[in-house]
Amino acid sequence: MTYQIELENINKYYGGYHALRDISLGIEPGEFVALVGPSGCGKSTLLRTIAGLEGISGGTLRIAGETVNDRAPRERDLAMVFQSYALYPHMTVRRNLTYSMRLKRRSKADMERSVEEIARITGLESLLDRYPRELSGGQRQRVAMGRAIIREPKAFLFDEPLSNLDAALRVHMRSEVRQLHNRLNATSVYVTHDQIEAMTMADRVVVMRAGVVEQMGAPLDLYDRPCNRFVAGFIGSPAMNFVDGIIREDGVSVRLDLPGEAVLRFAGARPAGETVTVGFRPEHLSVTMAATGGNILSLPVGFVERTGSTSYVLSSTTPEILLSVPERFPKEQGSVNAQIAPELVHLFSKEDGTALL
Amino acid sequence: MRGNDVKRYGLLALALLFVGIYLFPLYWMYVTALKSNSEIFAIPPTFWPRDPQWIVMDVWQRMKMDVYLRNSLIIAFGVTVIVTMTGTGCAYVLARIRNRWMDAVLFTVLMMQVLPSSLMITPIFVVFNQVGLSEYPRLSVILAQAAKVLPLYIVLCRATFLQVPKELEEAARVDGNSRVGAFLTIIVPLARNGILVTSVLIFLQSFGEYVYSRSLITQRALQPATVGLQSFMGPNSSDWAGVMTYSAIYVTPILIVFVLLQRQIVSGLTSGALK
Repeated sequence: MTYQIELENINKYYGGYHALRDISLGIEPGEFVALVGPSGCGKSTLLRTIAGLEGISGGTLRIAGETVNDRAPRERDLAMVFQSYALYPHMTVRRNLTYSMRLKRRSKADMERSVEEIARITGLESLLDRYPRELSGGQRQRVAMGRAIIREPKAFLFDEPLSNLDAALRVHMRSEVRQLHNRLNATSVYVTHDQIEAMTMADRVVVMRAGVVEQMGAPLDLYDRPCNRFVAGFIGSPAMNFVDGIIREDGVSVRLDLPGEAVLRFAGARPAGETVTVGFRPEHLSVTMAATGGNILSLPVGFVERTGSTSYVLSSTTPEILLSVPERFPKEQGSVNAQIAPELVHLFSKEDGTALL
Repeated sequence: MRGNDVKRYGLLALALLFVGIYLFPLYWMYVTALKSNSEIFAIPPTFWPRDPQWIVMDVWQRMKMDVYLRNSLIIAFGVTVIVTMTGTGCAYVLARIRNRWMDAVLFTVLMMQVLPSSLMITPIFVVFNQVGLSEYPRLSVILAQAAKVLPLYIVLCRATFLQVPKELEEAARVDGNSRVGAFLTIIVPLARNGILVTSVLIFLQSFGEYVYSRSLITQRALQPATVGLQSFMGPNSSDWAGVMTYSAIYVTPILIVFVLLQRQIVSGLTSGALK
């Protein structure tokens, strides 16, 4: 199996600052990989390293089987879409699209044909002779995409390309980018801080923090089986609830550090007396009438947010527990009983946050 | 509302007053150029010549101003070419690479700007003499003056380059261009305004250069107009009308250029050369 892009123990230092730590990652041809993480986690640095805009301090980077550590960006045959689009302001859309072809001294007819095709794909036909400043945000975004597509590169690199668009357009472009990826059968690396974008678009999500890959895998695997507390909290919206707890004598249930001595059963077994962090997602807590029984939390209601389709109920405990209720929750209700299935309860080590189940 | 009006007109009056003070010497130059010798020393002074006399052609021919102005142009043009050729790349590097060493370099560059010509001229004269540059006096003035104004050019151009987003260059490099190619096809065209305006400033400054020309050029036929002006000053000459006419001929083209370009110069110096 040859990877389209292969990273092997990539390290990157800025002076004494260790920006990327031992990153290994193989991206298969045609795969859509999203790099996601909080700002400053190194995801953009990693992308720029692949593009060749940043040097590598250690490790090997291969593109289509060839080591490219010391190659200039232009020798790597990758296309990049920037957050700011980076359209050349002094060139028309047409000249922006053909910039790379003109560098390669392709024939005029050749360029005309390509421009027409790209304009058709991206819907820019009527805008070819405009300047970037005369375009709306969405149109600029399309030009930036078109400029990448026209290259027919070995892989596409996206650096938060949708974050400058308004919310509605962002959702629309999300599916459009993904469809484009499918149609071109391209290999794409997509950097974003928005986990929804990563979850909806990518075949594989790489969660990064502080220059380290925390976990990588299919979007739903990350959601179902986060390997540590950070990934658990980062993937999923609203974020997972975390409560401290102690494993009970039976080894299959945990006493939560909440008023009322709440006890939750979990799927699996842990040594009795172990102190852990218990995690469960707001949407996995379902409101129930029963006050007693299996895996029920009785919580005093502190605050209710209603969005129409979903109500967010925040408990008045410390730490606060958030429930995501798919119905209209009465604002004046003082307490709520929430039930959760044992297999949806996550346990994390108190020391290093790794998943225990 | 009324208070606002008072404030506005008050400020306007103040502005006019200051403009008047700044422009008075210029006005006095033009007026004196038109006065007769006796009227120049009349007390009280006249603010408009009673009997205007037009001695432009006379001064032009008597002083051989065409030679002087040609020398001034050669020097100013030479300085501008050398400075733009060598300074643009330097300004760009200083704009892009940011670390402690570059700060030190920038500081050193600025320090060179501080040294006055009159201080620098002696060592320059000695060195130029030793390497035989005194055979080419205009070239030596061009070199000396280029060294003098280069820091100013670098600092002003750097400010322009700082406004060009880095991503544009990176996009060009990923798109298949080299660093130099990206600089020439993307960055320089975008910074064109700033570069042009700064070059005009350098040109005008070199057009009025005096100290180096005075010291390095002895032959009259090679001297620029600034030095030529001095030849009016004899032990017993007091041709003030001639001096002022000469000055007016010399300054007027500069003024015209400035007025024509003032909007670009101001915007180029402050900000917004892009977007």
